[in-house]
Amino acid sequence: MKPAGVTKEASRREIILGCGTLAIAAGYYLLAVRIPQSDIADVIGAQGLPKTYAALLALLSIILIGRAALARRTAAAPEPPTITVGPAARHVGWRTFGMLVNGALYVALVTRLGYIASIAGLIASTIYLQGGELNRRSIGVAAGGALLLWLLFVRLLHIPHPPGIWPSLF
Amino acid sequence: MAVVVLSIIPAAFGGVAWGILGGALPGISPSITMALLLPFTYSMAPTTAVVMLACTYIGAEYGGSIPAILIRTPGTNAAAATVVDGYMMKMQGKAGEALGISLYSGFVGGLFGMLVLVGLTERLSAVALAFTPPAYFALGVLGLSVIATLAGESLVTGLIAGLLGLMISTIGTDPVTGLNRFTFDSPELLSGIPPLLVMVGLYAVGDLFVKTGEPDWAKATSEEARIKFPSPALWKRIARPQLIGSLLGAFEGMMPGGGGAVSSFLAYNEARRWSRHKEEFGHGSPEGIAAPEAANNTVACTALVPMLSLGIPSSNSSAVLLGGFLMHGLIPGPLLFVSHADVVHGLYVGMFAGNVAMLIIGYLIMSPCMWLVNRPKPYLMAFIYALVVSGVYAIQNSIFHVGLTLGFGVLGSAMTYFRLPVLPMVLGVVLGFVVESNYRRALVISSGDYRTFVQDPIAAGLLAVAFLFVTGALVRRLREARHVRSAAGASV
Repeated sequence: MKPAGVTKEASRREIILGCGTLAIAAGYYLLAVRIPQSDIADVIGAQGLPKTYAALLALLSIILIGRAALARRTAAAPEPPTITVGPAARHVGWRTFGMLVNGALYVALVTRLGYIASIAGLIASTIYLQGGELNRRSIGVAAGGALLLWLLFVRLLHIPHPPGIWPSLF
Repeated sequence: MAVVVLSIIPAAFGGVAWGILGGALPGISPSITMALLLPFTYSMAPTTAVVMLACTYIGAEYGGSIPAILIRTPGTNAAAATVVDGYMMKMQGKAGEALGISLYSGFVGGLFGMLVLVGLTERLSAVALAFTPPAYFALGVLGLSVIATLAGESLVTGLIAGLLGLMISTIGTDPVTGLNRFTFDSPELLSGIPPLLVMVGLYAVGDLFVKTGEPDWAKATSEEARIKFPSPALWKRIARPQLIGSLLGAFEGMMPGGGGAVSSFLAYNEARRWSRHKEEFGHGSPEGIAAPEAANNTVACTALVPMLSLGIPSSNSSAVLLGGFLMHGLIPGPLLFVSHADVVHGLYVGMFAGNVAMLIIGYLIMSPCMWLVNRPKPYLMAFIYALVVSGVYAIQNSIFHVGLTLGFGVLGSAMTYFRLPVLPMVLGVVLGFVVESNYRRALVISSGDYRTFVQDPIAAGLLAVAFLFVTGALVRRLREARHVRSAAGASV
């Protein structure tokens, strides 16, 4: 009988996390030692605490990896899934990634297309990625939402947003 | 003064309304509701901005009980305890009464919390006026250690999250020499990464990404939207659980990592223990709603005690409020009471008004709330996303900031996947400057003598408490691990 609570999946996650933070610590340390020394520096200097943080993070990462590796040996096998994973569940990861791509596209296009067109696109694509359908209603909601946000930010709060293809509106 | 009050009152009402609407959406926590509002407060007067944020917290704590009662889905973590009896009352056709008890108890808890906040904050900050640079450094270390040990499932992951936050805080110009650190020749990074972007990214965007895979929540019928305030007999009956909830909320709110959820469940259990109608708990007891709702609204006020007096936030929501202070150049802590006493007193007035506003708006806003809860989730999420990117851009008209916020959103969802707690990281970002600048200042003053940290009695005391917290947590986890191992050995 294996102890309950710690599964191989949880240990695997901790090992991946530990490796990731160890890599961050190494990269951060290499960048920290490249910070130039100043003639007016105090005893610690601009490098001092960043190097300490990197060392502490590396130490904690090693502890995490070691602890997870030990736990993995005694960990319980993952419980068999009680729910059949359907196509919708399988697409969740892609949808989440799509949300990021969606935001990145907004950042890339907003200065060219302008606020209204970009934000309408962002709303429409987010509705789709969150499980909604792209139909006349959702496109209407996206267009209306973009108009509402434009009224709120540009007209009411007087906060300029990129005009893009429709400068007369801004 | 009259002009200030005139701007505070609408801010309090607006913040409460926003908070109730945000809190009523399942999965949108008070901290996310506040993070969404942060960019909009940038152009406001400091007092108006912090009042609006604090009142959002107050409103969100009540708002969370609306879906908890109507659709058995807590809008916030703190409302989880309300689900048990709230939903049972709804099933008995008493949804209006349940909502009324929740609103009234939240109001009572909020007023009690205000008394504690006003009574304790200035006294605590007067003590903190004696702080020297070593003491400030020690205070930052203590705050980080306590949160890192209490937040999340493991001490190591809590400390890792705190350290990552401290690392983010080193980006930008060095506080002593003025050298650029980790800026990659980017002019946008010279002034560092604003904590506001980290908070909006980690809380709001990260949550949005995580919720992509979650199904839509249940919907409520509009006939349930009429609030009925408790009768005098019921007032009398729920007075004791309200007191229990308020006392526990006051204590838990000030404890780092305590928060509304812990206090609500504690209050629920204690109210049942002291009740004359124990058998009703779990079957639609009004006391089972009054205690947790009084507790979580007390927390919304008392969580500000350590944040205002020492500059150490005890919960996600108070960390976001701290971000609001920093955004306006206000640094919470003892000096705030000297340099910006008007802001603190304005905040008190605003929060008092916010508690009264909750009673009025909570009654009036039910229909819009129901309308919002009944919208399809994809539409709501799309508008939240649009609001985040538009709001972040509006702060400094910077597309770079929008990209950075999205980056922190990715980090936030990765942290959720790896079960890395967010609060220690936020605290690391917020306290990083305080820790580093005071550490180095202390060593400059002492000519590099590290004994200054143990010679200063306040610093030594605070560092000792931090050490005790970390070692105590370590010992507790080791004991738990040994217990699990011995249990496993016995069962083989």
